[in-house]
Amino acid sequence: MRRLALAAVLLLGACASGPAPSEVVPRSAPAPQPANASTVSAAPSSQANPPPSCDATASLRPGALPQPGQMPDGSTMARIAQRGRLIAGVDQNSYLMGFRNSFTGEIEGFDVDVARQIAKAVFGDEKKVQFKVVTAAERIPMLQSGAVDVVVRTMTITCDRLEDVDFSQVYYQAGQRVLVRRNSGITGVEGLADKRVCVASGSTSLNNVVNRAKTTVSVPNWTDCLVMLQQGQTDAISTDDTILAGLAAQDPYTEVVGSRFTDESYGVGVPKGQEDLVRFVNGVLERMRTDGTWRGIYLRWLTPLGPAPTPPVARYRD
Amino acid sequence: MVVDSQPRQALVRRVTGLARSTPGRLSLIVVVLVVASLASGWLTTWSVNRQERALEDLATRSEPLAHAAQEVYRALQDADATAASAFLSGGLEPSELRERYEADVAQAQAALSVATATSPELTATLAAQLPVYTGLIETARTNNRQGFPVGAAYLREASGLMRTQLLPAAQELYRAETDRVARAQDEASFPWGSVAVALAFVIALVLTQRYLTRKTNRLLNVGLLVATGAAALSLLWMTTVSVLVMNDVADSRAASQKVDVLAQARIATLTARGEETLTLVARGAGQTYEKNFVEVSERLEGLLDQASKLDDTAAVDEAMKQFRQWQQVHQRIREADDAGQYTEAVSLIGSPYFDSLDQALVRGIGEARQDFSDEVAVARVSLSGTAVGVLVLAVVGAAGAAMGLWQRLKEYR
Repeated sequence: MRRLALAAVLLLGACASGPAPSEVVPRSAPAPQPANASTVSAAPSSQANPPPSCDATASLRPGALPQPGQMPDGSTMARIAQRGRLIAGVDQNSYLMGFRNSFTGEIEGFDVDVARQIAKAVFGDEKKVQFKVVTAAERIPMLQSGAVDVVVRTMTITCDRLEDVDFSQVYYQAGQRVLVRRNSGITGVEGLADKRVCVASGSTSLNNVVNRAKTTVSVPNWTDCLVMLQQGQTDAISTDDTILAGLAAQDPYTEVVGSRFTDESYGVGVPKGQEDLVRFVNGVLERMRTDGTWRGIYLRWLTPLGPAPTPPVARYRD
Repeated sequence: MVVDSQPRQALVRRVTGLARSTPGRLSLIVVVLVVASLASGWLTTWSVNRQERALEDLATRSEPLAHAAQEVYRALQDADATAASAFLSGGLEPSELRERYEADVAQAQAALSVATATSPELTATLAAQLPVYTGLIETARTNNRQGFPVGAAYLREASGLMRTQLLPAAQELYRAETDRVARAQDEASFPWGSVAVALAFVIALVLTQRYLTRKTNRLLNVGLLVATGAAALSLLWMTTVSVLVMNDVADSRAASQKVDVLAQARIATLTARGEETLTLVARGAGQTYEKNFVEVSERLEGLLDQASKLDDTAAVDEAMKQFRQWQQVHQRIREADDAGQYTEAVSLIGSPYFDSLDQALVRGIGEARQDFSDEVAVARVSLSGTAVGVLVLAVVGAAGAAMGLWQRLKEYR
């Protein structure tokens, strides 16, 4: 009996096993994403009811430009002159168009120079301008609230937007294209059907691309899209060639592909109803076109897009 | 069953029989008193030990860990605000800002490794995310060095990661550690149970003495007198020490509350600083940051008020003074920025008041922590020797009771 018990104990001892050796399990850190990145499933509601048709790019004919410092009494420009500075809504994230020079901290670019020309026409001094950085989605609200006098920020003139704000004549003709990693195999907008595409929220590019891509991600700024592309969270970025050229200039591993598949006519945004300011800005743009300033600014910033084209032709509805 | 119950009945009969005769009763009382004395002594020693352990934990673990957790939060918050400031400065970042950022990251790492002991889950989250954060900051720097605006986008992403992942985890860690301090303070509270038992034992001894006097007509029994003295001394000792400890622990609670309020004030200061800087980085699109600044500033003012109500020290006064100056400068920054004088606004942000406020708070926190440490040390000193003393007195009490009653018992032989 005792022998049997002993045998049982020995047998049990042989079978008993300790806990499995411990493992170090790495804590996975989810890849960070730009703040406020969200997936867009369908076109925004404005697309649901077709935009009102209109002759979007026809603006108001300018009169003779008043001399700097002598704005007509009671005009919007006189109010700006009295304040002592023009307040312009611009971008600080679009390389070449409107961006912060990280050496000087100043905001520079094609759009910024256009805004400076307007300030120069009012004050005779292109430095009398305060830049307020606005995101794409903030452009119309900022004009409506009067927080800015003008918006010069790669803003496409559309009939939809003309319901809420006024526009100058076209000062730049851009078109939407696609930015991808080099050797990605994507050759244009047609190749996006099974891809993830990044766009800035509140931009016309969003509406143009949302139905052509498998997934569309929206972020506040275009540079946030470049972050997502570099982090491998998106396959492509699609927007105006001006903005894409600026992004491509920041990353040699990317390239702009395909031809323009939209026409984006940039205008200076002005609060609704300020016709005198629209005519004044048109006068400034007219002068820039004829005296070579426009070409000078183009050559200063936009040569990555090719040699200077002829400036867009002004169209007026009087 | 019937067979089984017989011995038990026999035992009951024997005990009740014993209790009926005086010598029997005396024998029973001896046994009960000796057991009660030792049990009461053991209970007291146990509760004193518990208090000692709790105090030791406070001094050497909970409080240092709570401080480490607070340092994790502070260093992370400061790293983020400093990274934003460095970006704001334009051109190459000033070396002092870079050094401050690096010191913050190193401090956060060091504090994190201290805090790992008690909250492995939370610290694992922080340890996994911190390198991701610093990686993003370096990417932002590299791009910034080349003059690419995408650097600012990486900075925004890093800051978003800090605000949504790292800081909430650090906040939770701090809460967990301060709760641990509060629990340790609860453990060191007044030992009602042991005091009640010790008191009951003294009363039992006095009653025995009275019973003996009635039965034997002798006024005093030396053995019982010694036992009663020992028990009373033990009770007095423990009560006095417990009252002292309770007082010290209450003071240490006040000190840790002060530390908590000042630490929160410091975190609010750094948060407000971050918001102030980001308002300028955003350049006109910073309304949310300014709104946050106003909210955090109000909270900060409330915390400083609360701190001065708790203990109006020079450091707290100084902090309040610097806070008001800072708010005035902030007003001027906003006016300059809103009036389009951006460079002026950026130069104003370098005013010394924020740093002075932070230093005043550091001083205040240091003083309050010293108070805490002093209170706990005093409590530990008052407890020292109590456990052994009480045990010795219990043995003396048991021996006294046994000997005293033994003498009386002998007279019945």
